[in-house]
Amino acid sequence: MQQILTMISKEFKQIFRDKAMLAIIFLVPVIQLFILAYSITTDVTHIKLLIADMDNSQTSREIVRSFSHTGRFDIVENISDLRRIRSEFQSWKAQMVLVIPPNFGRDLQRNLNPQIQISVDGTDGNTAGVAIGYARGVLNQFGKRIMFNPIRRQYLRNIHLISMIPRMWYNLELNSQQYIIPGIIVVLLTILPMMLSSMSLVKEKELGTLEQLVVTSLKKHELILGKLIPFLILSYIELGIVLVLGIVMFRISMNGSYILLAILSFIYLFTTLGLGIFISTTTTSQQQAMFMSWFLMVFMILMSGFFIPIENMPEILRKLTYLDPMRYFMSIIRDIFQKGSGLKFLLRDVIPMTLYGVVILSFSVVRFHKRVG
Amino acid sequence: MKKSIHRTRAIVRKEFLHIIHDPRTLFLVIMMPVVQLIMFGYALNLEIQHVNMAVIDYSKSLASRKFVQYFAGSKFFHPFYVNQNPSQVETLFKERKAKVAVVIPADFDRELKRNFSIPIQFLIDASDANAATLIQNYCNQVVMNYNNDIGNKMSLPFDLRNTVYFNPNFKSSYFFVPGLIAMILIMITSLLTSVAIAREKETGTMEQILVSPVRPHEIILGKVLPYILLSFLDASLILSIGIFLFKIPFVGSLLLLLVLSLLYIILSLSLGVLISTIANSQQVALMIAMTATILPTIMLSGLIFPIASMPKLLQYFTYLVPARFYLLIVRGIILKGSTFVQLLIPTVILVFMTILLFTISVKKFRVTLEE
Repeated sequence: MQQILTMISKEFKQIFRDKAMLAIIFLVPVIQLFILAYSITTDVTHIKLLIADMDNSQTSREIVRSFSHTGRFDIVENISDLRRIRSEFQSWKAQMVLVIPPNFGRDLQRNLNPQIQISVDGTDGNTAGVAIGYARGVLNQFGKRIMFNPIRRQYLRNIHLISMIPRMWYNLELNSQQYIIPGIIVVLLTILPMMLSSMSLVKEKELGTLEQLVVTSLKKHELILGKLIPFLILSYIELGIVLVLGIVMFRISMNGSYILLAILSFIYLFTTLGLGIFISTTTTSQQQAMFMSWFLMVFMILMSGFFIPIENMPEILRKLTYLDPMRYFMSIIRDIFQKGSGLKFLLRDVIPMTLYGVVILSFSVVRFHKRVG
Repeated sequence: MKKSIHRTRAIVRKEFLHIIHDPRTLFLVIMMPVVQLIMFGYALNLEIQHVNMAVIDYSKSLASRKFVQYFAGSKFFHPFYVNQNPSQVETLFKERKAKVAVVIPADFDRELKRNFSIPIQFLIDASDANAATLIQNYCNQVVMNYNNDIGNKMSLPFDLRNTVYFNPNFKSSYFFVPGLIAMILIMITSLLTSVAIAREKETGTMEQILVSPVRPHEIILGKVLPYILLSFLDASLILSIGIFLFKIPFVGSLLLLLVLSLLYIILSLSLGVLISTIANSQQVALMIAMTATILPTIMLSGLIFPIASMPKLLQYFTYLVPARFYLLIVRGIILKGSTFVQLLIPTVILVFMTILLFTISVKKFRVTLEE
């Protein structure tokens, strides 16, 4: 016991000796929190819109006004030469062009069903699709206003419409930070334990100090515990930082149990610390360890549903996500924070996560023992 | 001059030997971009595709079933009926069996014949706000389709046409794969160089190089050249996978792309050198490279998420991210065939950034060496 404590204090000294390292450990989560919390949004706003109004009538100006009223579109310029469209897209000056042909207003009044055209830069397919949806919505509204004009009242008698009343659960204001910030906790509890523990173990190998540690009276399990416990403690500190910032600054709601959160985080750390040890046994230099953990990390984050919903992925990739221990913890943490789910609802994620943790950790420890021996 | 070239070449050779003698790293450096590209290329899809929809149908009429049929017919929704109890919805959301629930009132059938507008409730699990917004939009579209079909004479008084340029099928891989070049290049260059220089410092071999007659700029050049080559190798690998596997159409000029990519590579290498002057150990270099270059490149460059939708303050920060401008260049050239003149603004900004970063990093590097 005494020896483990000595080992832990040695590790802490080593971490804290390096001022840059210390700053990083406390700054990185804060920076990540701010960048990720604000940048992950798939909402489409400020669509750069060009107007080619060749009609220049009261009707066409009304259409243009209704586009600018939505707040979704930024009207950048009025053009008259349609040949410029392609070039405007190529220099990224516009994303969408609304073309109102000559005599549109007059033809509309005469019920001639005139054409109106939207051109869109499809490069960013997602944005383009949503932007077209918005534009259609605006034009639909405009069309209805004309149709339900008092003069055309007789139409209304035969029309019965469904109107949609959306009710948002768990997140009334549709604040995406409620979803992202709990996810950041998972990312931090993955990066820090996995990368830093693997690099710190390999560093001892690289510098030859691991052998020195092995020949001391320190037992192997004490060596591992002494290496892992500091990172365990650091991980909890990071968890605390993000939790406090998230709740105080970003005002995210925590509807579940803090104890459950702490316990399940502990189980998850089995996995990431275990992976750290595993990486250290397969690599010989810090550079290799870094690449291995980087590689694993990218795979894990991508497949966890952190910023790309798993349901959107193709079938094969969706099956691959079951191999990702992070996936389970991601769902667990989000459900605890937002839905306040208890253990009963989380079991289907807790069981595989625990299995992964136990298997990975014991496998790596055994491997480490063999290697060191 | 001749001697200088000779000395630089020696360092280049040494660095190359370092890379080749470590086949595991070399393998990772070449394979990692490939695997990541394939994974990202297939996984990056922000369009919601499978939404389970619980239907609580009090009406149980032909009309209500027809309404639900509209959702089943769209490719997004998988509707399933649940027993008539709205309190169940909470459990369904917690069990993640449904993302949206629609409640059809008992008098739906009658109301539909009598009233102009019939309100229908859609309960949406908004824990993922982005997904919830999309689900709401999709529901809206389906309801709109339904309304257009049942409310006859509802068609608009004008004909709406849309033309899509460059990517008519809205394929997300078209957008993401060229973008990934920006991410992978900066990862390889700034991460590898900063760690490579930090390694020399950590193991004490930097001092050995210093006492030799090699000059600081020769060290930098020697350290950096192998990685320029490596990143070009990676870039062409990504590009060919993009073209052959993901069938990305390459519309623009390859030469222009190569020249401007070289600019971007020099820029990110300068960043790597700059990081190495701050960091004394590989761990520190890694963490700085990750937070200062890779994270912003992924999140703040417009690689995945639209910059225009971010808060104003964060948008100003994105101007500091080189990848933001490089992305306009890669995507413009590959997908749209943009010309040099059309990309003049991002190019000028990149040139400016490169000159600035390069001079700072060389100066700082010299100072660190002399200490």
